[in-house]
Amino acid sequence: MSQPDSVMVAGFLLALDRCYQAETHMWVLPKGRGQVRIGMDALGIETSGALAHLSFVAIGAQLTAGRPFGQLEAAKFVGPLVSPVSGVVLATNAEVGMDAGLAERDPYGAGWLIEASLPEAPAGLAGLLTDPAEITSWFAARIARYRLKGLIAS
Amino acid sequence: MAETLRVIDFGPSTPLRSQTLWHAIGYGVSAGAPVTLSFARPAAPYVCLGYHRPTDEVDLGYCRANELPVLRRMVGGGPVYLDADQLFFQICLPAAAVPPVRQQALRTLLEPAVAAFRAVGIRAELGEDLEISVDDRKICGHGAGQIDEAVVVCGNLIERFDHDRASRVLSVASPAQREQTLALMRRFVAATPVDPVAFKEAMVRAFGAGLGLDAVPGELTGAESAALVRLDQEFTSDNWLSGPRRPVPGDSTRPRACQVKVRAGVWTLGASHDGTEVAAGVVRGTVAEVRLSDRELNGLARQAERAVTGLPVRAVPRVLATFGDAGRRLAAVFAAASPERLL
Repeated sequence: MSQPDSVMVAGFLLALDRCYQAETHMWVLPKGRGQVRIGMDALGIETSGALAHLSFVAIGAQLTAGRPFGQLEAAKFVGPLVSPVSGVVLATNAEVGMDAGLAERDPYGAGWLIEASLPEAPAGLAGLLTDPAEITSWFAARIARYRLKGLIAS
Repeated sequence: MAETLRVIDFGPSTPLRSQTLWHAIGYGVSAGAPVTLSFARPAAPYVCLGYHRPTDEVDLGYCRANELPVLRRMVGGGPVYLDADQLFFQICLPAAAVPPVRQQALRTLLEPAVAAFRAVGIRAELGEDLEISVDDRKICGHGAGQIDEAVVVCGNLIERFDHDRASRVLSVASPAQREQTLALMRRFVAATPVDPVAFKEAMVRAFGAGLGLDAVPGELTGAESAALVRLDQEFTSDNWLSGPRRPVPGDSTRPRACQVKVRAGVWTLGASHDGTEVAAGVVRGTVAEVRLSDRELNGLARQAERAVTGLPVRAVPRVLATFGDAGRRLAAVFAAASPERLL
């Protein structure tokens, strides 16, 4: 699904209206008043394999950057969804909880994962990639690296 | 000098410990313990759910009546029946040592297991679906997960397989679906009755060689033993057994579907709603066998069943809909019973 501020990078959709955590492929979309929406980018989804289940911590739970806010299951492999920010969970996406494939079909839109408030915004976004040129360059380099290693299809 | 592959054979273990022992290793490896290959054999039968699976996929009444504990594991996959005729293995590594693409990680960590099966004379293959099979029969159940900062991949050597009980513990929509599940399990899940000692030795050699590590017998660290006590409590708590929070579908009028995955590409599908019932066995996307009933089918059930047998799942609702009002109800129930990716 296309987004207004998005580009195709080597076959993968990339939304440029948000920030990214480079290691985890999580995106963070500021929504104003210190609130953000969080999801996983198309490359992160691709490298996870066909998504079977997504589960999240409860609304109101504390988020810590670098720690899990839920679990993702693909190919019988359960692994953590790692938070790119610290804050408090305001909402979880029930639709994607019932149909994990939504995150594959629309990773930057309806396939969002959680919403959170960041007490220290905008400082809470420190360490994330924010510049569209920098994001595009990072994303392209990641794709090239994964393809070179044979981890994703050419 | 190569680093160490710690090998721990827990031997016969209670159902609870056959799970918590290797989860404790996950925390140990996260904290710096060596890569570990462990083995355990359940001393008594039980049922175990994958991390995300709801408890209603298991026939809890049957399990209670037959004194089968129901546990939950931190790795993926569906509900499975375990007993003393299955030898379980677990390989546990630091997450940073595992390829970042999960399917690649699974392939890397299942290939030594395949080599071990071959070393004891089993023509095992690792398929594109990442299942270990001989021809088209699955011979090893596996699951994987990240526990703290460690990745663990589990599997089993099935010396004998109780197909009846393995199908009986599952919650299904109807007796017809249960029959189909049992038939497909018998057809597509096979035991490989080899010497378990030889298999364990082959596993140690294969994982040592595959990971470039020197195998050394070991035991739990003090920290792992402490984690084990905590996990024994956690894994028997209602909170853990109920599993992660999951959203409740808003549409309560939708037929409740029971989908049983027998192996990759082999399913039974069942659902009933207001007197209309479907049960189907599906092999590689095609209906292999189907039972249909509806109060107004008026003797056309066999004809409708013949019409859809052999068809791709996605074509079935359209064909059923040609059988009048009853056919349209059956089409709706069949669609509700089917995984979206097959429609």
